[in-house]
Amino acid sequence: MNKKLGVYICHCGGNISDYIDVEKVKAAVAGEDGVYLAKTTMFACSDATQKEMVEDIRSNNLDGIVVASCSPKLHLLTFRAVSERALLNKYNYVHANIREQGSWAHSDDKAGATEKAVSLVKAAIAKVRLARSLDPIIIPSKKAVAIIGAGVAGMRAAIELADMGCPVTLVEREYFVGGRVAQWDVMFTTNQTGKELVTRLYNEVIARDNITLLTGAEVVANSGSIGDFTLKIKVTPRYMKEKCDQNNLLKAIEACPVVVPDDFNFNITSRKAIYHNFPGEFPQYPVIDIKNCTRCGECEKICSSVDFSQQEQTVEVHVGSVVMATGFDPYTPAEGEFGYKLSDFVVTLPQFKRLTDINKDNLVYNGREIRNIAYIYCVGSRQSEGDNKYCSRYCCTSAIHASLEARNKFRNVNNFHFTRGIRTYGKQELLYAESLRKGDVYLQAYEENPPLVEVKDGQITVTINDIMTGGREISVIPDLLVLVTGMVPRADNSIASKFKLPKGRDSFFNEIHMKLRPVETVIDGVTISGACQGPKNITESVNSALSAAAKSYSFVNKGELALEPIIAGIDKDLCTWCGECEKACPFDAIKKEKQGEKEIAVINNSVCKGCGMCLPVCPVNAINLIAFSDREIESMIDALVSV
Amino acid sequence: MAENIKTANYDALVIGAGIAGGEAALNLANNGFSVLLVEKDLSIGGKMILLSKVFPTLDCAACITTPKMSEISRHHGITIFTGSEVQKVVKKSENSFEAVVIKQPRYVVEDDCTACQLCEQACPVVVKDQYQYNLVGRKAAFIPFSIASPRVAAIDIENCTLCGACEKVCPTKCIDFTMEAEEYHITAGAVIVATGFRLFDPLKIPRYGYGQYKNVLTSMEMERQLAPTRPFNTVLRPGDGKVPDKIAYVLCTGSRDATVGNPICSQICCMYSIKQAQLLMGSLPMADVTIYYINIRSFGKGFEEFYEQAKGMGVNFIKGKIGKITEKENGNLILRYEDINENKLKESEHDMVVLSVGVLPNTDAAGIFREQKLEFDHLNFVGQKDPLASPAETNIKGVFVAGTASGPMDIPDSILSAGAASSEAMRYLIRK
Ligand SMILES: Cc1cc2nc3c(=O)[nH]c(=O)nc-3n(C[C@H](O)[C@H](O)[C@H](O)COP(=O)(O)OP(=O)(O)OC[C@H]3O[C@@H](n4cnc5c(N)ncnc54)[C@H](O)[C@@H]3O)c2cc1C
Ligand SMILES: Cc1cc2nc3c(=O)[nH]c(=O)nc-3n(C[C@H](O)[C@H](O)[C@H](O)COP(=O)(O)OP(=O)(O)OC[C@H]3O[C@@H](n4cnc5c(N)ncnc54)[C@H](O)[C@@H]3O)c2cc1C
Ligand code: SF4
Ligand code: SF4
Repeated sequence: MNKKLGVYICHCGGNISDYIDVEKVKAAVAGEDGVYLAKTTMFACSDATQKEMVEDIRSNNLDGIVVASCSPKLHLLTFRAVSERALLNKYNYVHANIREQGSWAHSDDKAGATEKAVSLVKAAIAKVRLARSLDPIIIPSKKAVAIIGAGVAGMRAAIELADMGCPVTLVEREYFVGGRVAQWDVMFTTNQTGKELVTRLYNEVIARDNITLLTGAEVVANSGSIGDFTLKIKVTPRYMKEKCDQNNLLKAIEACPVVVPDDFNFNITSRKAIYHNFPGEFPQYPVIDIKNCTRCGECEKICSSVDFSQQEQTVEVHVGSVVMATGFDPYTPAEGEFGYKLSDFVVTLPQFKRLTDINKDNLVYNGREIRNIAYIYCVGSRQSEGDNKYCSRYCCTSAIHASLEARNKFRNVNNFHFTRGIRTYGKQELLYAESLRKGDVYLQAYEENPPLVEVKDGQITVTINDIMTGGREISVIPDLLVLVTGMVPRADNSIASKFKLPKGRDSFFNEIHMKLRPVETVIDGVTISGACQGPKNITESVNSALSAAAKSYSFVNKGELALEPIIAGIDKDLCTWCGECEKACPFDAIKKEKQGEKEIAVINNSVCKGCGMCLPVCPVNAINLIAFSDREIESMIDALVSV
Repeated sequence: MAENIKTANYDALVIGAGIAGGEAALNLANNGFSVLLVEKDLSIGGKMILLSKVFPTLDCAACITTPKMSEISRHHGITIFTGSEVQKVVKKSENSFEAVVIKQPRYVVEDDCTACQLCEQACPVVVKDQYQYNLVGRKAAFIPFSIASPRVAAIDIENCTLCGACEKVCPTKCIDFTMEAEEYHITAGAVIVATGFRLFDPLKIPRYGYGQYKNVLTSMEMERQLAPTRPFNTVLRPGDGKVPDKIAYVLCTGSRDATVGNPICSQICCMYSIKQAQLLMGSLPMADVTIYYINIRSFGKGFEEFYEQAKGMGVNFIKGKIGKITEKENGNLILRYEDINENKLKESEHDMVVLSVGVLPNTDAAGIFREQKLEFDHLNFVGQKDPLASPAETNIKGVFVAGTASGPMDIPDSILSAGAASSEAMRYLIRK
């Protein structure tokens, strides 16, 4: 029972020691029962200190160590590795967070912060005295990955994983792949078209045997956990046979009496209930939009490929890891927001992109030839009042690129940009310079004083107090007003709750740590990529998709995984199965099981995260959390209050 | 030297051990590939390891970099050569590159040095410390900086007088003046170029007075003054050691400026200046901090919020480009600028000026690739062959680019770019 312990108290280069007297902490804990050595160090995480710790543990045969430094979120793994290198089981190291919970929280009270640090370290010492060696739980990991969303991010990740020898199920909710990029014509910064890019990626996807692409498909249920997820995927049929005669098809489309807004064109045009989006979109065969179809049967009469007998299917896939690539929605302005919906000549940037694609020689919209175009930037982004505080990062460049494209493609176009300060970061700056050189007009206001849009008798007037000319009031009467709308999370993001994915302040999916673990989520085995994590252009989306692919690959490539042994355990004799713990578990790790005569709760070791939610609800105290037993916690509390 | 050539074989050769190269090496090694990581400098970690705290999360840079660097340096899949340069790389066939790497002598046996610093104390030669961006001095026998990895002494032979004082005091006798450069012939299946960026040299804009006025410094020098391993333990004016109380930032120094040959935006300087301003407000609560800018480019996740936070803390933002800086007798500086809001020319006095210098390409890798040349873009960054679909691919199959070697990037973007490069390299190695 008499453990030999080492205690290390970190200055964190001043982050801690500017507020906490680390020498005093050392002195206060050095005499604690079992403490064989206590040291302070400038950076506990530095190479030299790590070496020293290994040396200390080995040469003194220490049975446990306490490191008092920053949040264990940053360095738990670092010091566990130190223990392992010293051949000390890593669960005999206990961390005390005296930075986030000490120096940073109490920078106004140095004495108090020091006192608190002493208590925290003493509590950690109490815990390490009771610590036991533990072995990781080894589970098999299925060498297969599911990717949710077949936009550029999803397709790119799929190709990568497939080439690394990992089978992929690529699940796309729409009937066509490519996501948003399929909707863009000429794009920054390469001037390739979205169609070209999507065509290339689609061809690569279907050329690979180990990618299964499901379109019209949605995950309806998810169970299991890292190494072994089971996804139930509902696949809605196209109600069309694969090969179809183009001639009859066009006639059938003509015959369809149902007209709905075409969301591929962001509703600036309409389509029928039977439709396709070629040549841009893949797979290149049509769909009957069953939600709007009235089953009148007109198309069936003309085209033999129509097949209403097709049935919805549910597919089950087993994978070791899941990559989220569900992308974003363009922001939809509220009615009246900068004139939106008040005039037929107020459109969003995505609509404008479609408009410049659809029009060939002249830019004509709603019968009007468009010459003077005004752009209002940051609509739905950088809101001082609304929820979207963030900058959408793609839109300055995209708007400038689209306006240049309009200038190049159509005659007599004049562009007036109403900005909040242009953000063409990096090499994108060259587009801004080009736009200025070509004579586009740039006006700017701050958020307190945004441009004003008035619609009167069909005429739009945009007025700004332009800070570039000393606040002069300038008005423009454009033929078309483009609202440069930002990116928002998908409106239907129910997928998040199926995977219990956390969201950040901006409501996009959140990574664990922007720099240390940028594509991982708190749900082990689920990675995030592309614009579902936050606004990104294509290059940035693909960089994150490839990073996520590599990360997911590392979860599955060895065929097995080592999991944390710090999980809950049930005392069979005490458990009376009341079901309270099952309700409390946020990860569905607890199930009822019959053991002999008795029904008891059983914990799935690979799903349990050791969060402890089940512990307090058990009326008979039958649950024990390994490494956080009542005895350990009570000893810590005793240490905390004894000071 | 030639008779002593050593050979070795790796799955991947990574050139440059900043955060991008380090991250790429780690990803590869964690998936079972062997990596040779070649770093020109005496320590791995690139620019990031020398930063103070990093936007937008304000984690201390050392706290994030050091564990990564120690993971890299101890990973059994990664071999590190510091103080080394890749002299040439020739592609023999798919999945087969031959490289010549020269390891310059450190004059200290790495494994035996305990970093006791006795040599440092004994050395009589004092020169400027490049790791503190010349704010203070160091010895010719020296440990590069406190969190360097490896944390091992080196002898700066250019400045060393060969007096032998260090040799006498070294308790492990690991100083060895007879060391010579070593030549390695390496074969590798894939190559990642992660040679990073250079900082704009503000001497090119004489009207800002850098190098002439003592209290005009670069953002990197300020970064060192704010770092936990800072030289003075507080922020001081280099001119007279006075604690400054009216500090100005000049954004876009050497960026977005065709007259100095750099038309692009450096993408990081708005944000790092806002960060430094926040840190200054923390360490010098009475100080006034003013940022002179053209546009504030806080575009990334959490960046706009970070900018708003700085405004809330009282950092002044003035839209206007600085025309000229002049020095007063007391070392204070007069900034002439066009105040865009008020549409007039103005002057203001500050006691310290920080030039937010921009990002320039590092063309080191240009000379390395023989036979098939590595292509660069018109701005001299490593060229991306397919920037939309495969941002890490270069014109040479099997050679990938990571981090700021291909263009300006902050740390989060560098890390994702490194993730992409390592993923592509893995795919290339597996597919062969
Ligand atoms: C107007 C505009 C212009 C742009 N122009 C450019 C440009 O010129 N250059 C550039 O680099 N970038 C441009 N972008 C940015 C570019 O569109 C994004 O970077 C890119 O679309 C992000 O790709 P993604 O795969 O992450 O997301 P998305 O393109 O949104 O794709 C996500 C996919 O996931 C699917 N999905 C969503 N939810 C589910 C679910 N629950 N189950 C299954 N599937 C699901 C969607 O149907 C979609 O196919 C532009 C953006 C806008 C708004
Ligand atoms: C003042 C300042 C403050 C900053 N603050 C922040 C911040 O707060 N947050 C943030 O996100 N970003 C910040 N940045 C940006 C950050 O520094 C970069 O994003 C990051 O360092 C890029 O990493 P890298 O590995 O691409 O390049 P580098 O850090 O430049 O690393 C390149 C490495 O390659 C080595 N090398 C070069 N040539 C060769 C060769 N021929 N052979 C071998 N090795 C070679 C170099 O020695 C170096 O170690 C800041 C930058 C500056 C200048
Ligand atoms: S990228 Fe430009 S338009 Fe988009 S939110 Fe940011 S500043 Fe506004
Ligand atoms: S990031 Fe800001 S300071 Fe740097 S070049 Fe761009 S606009 Fe100028």
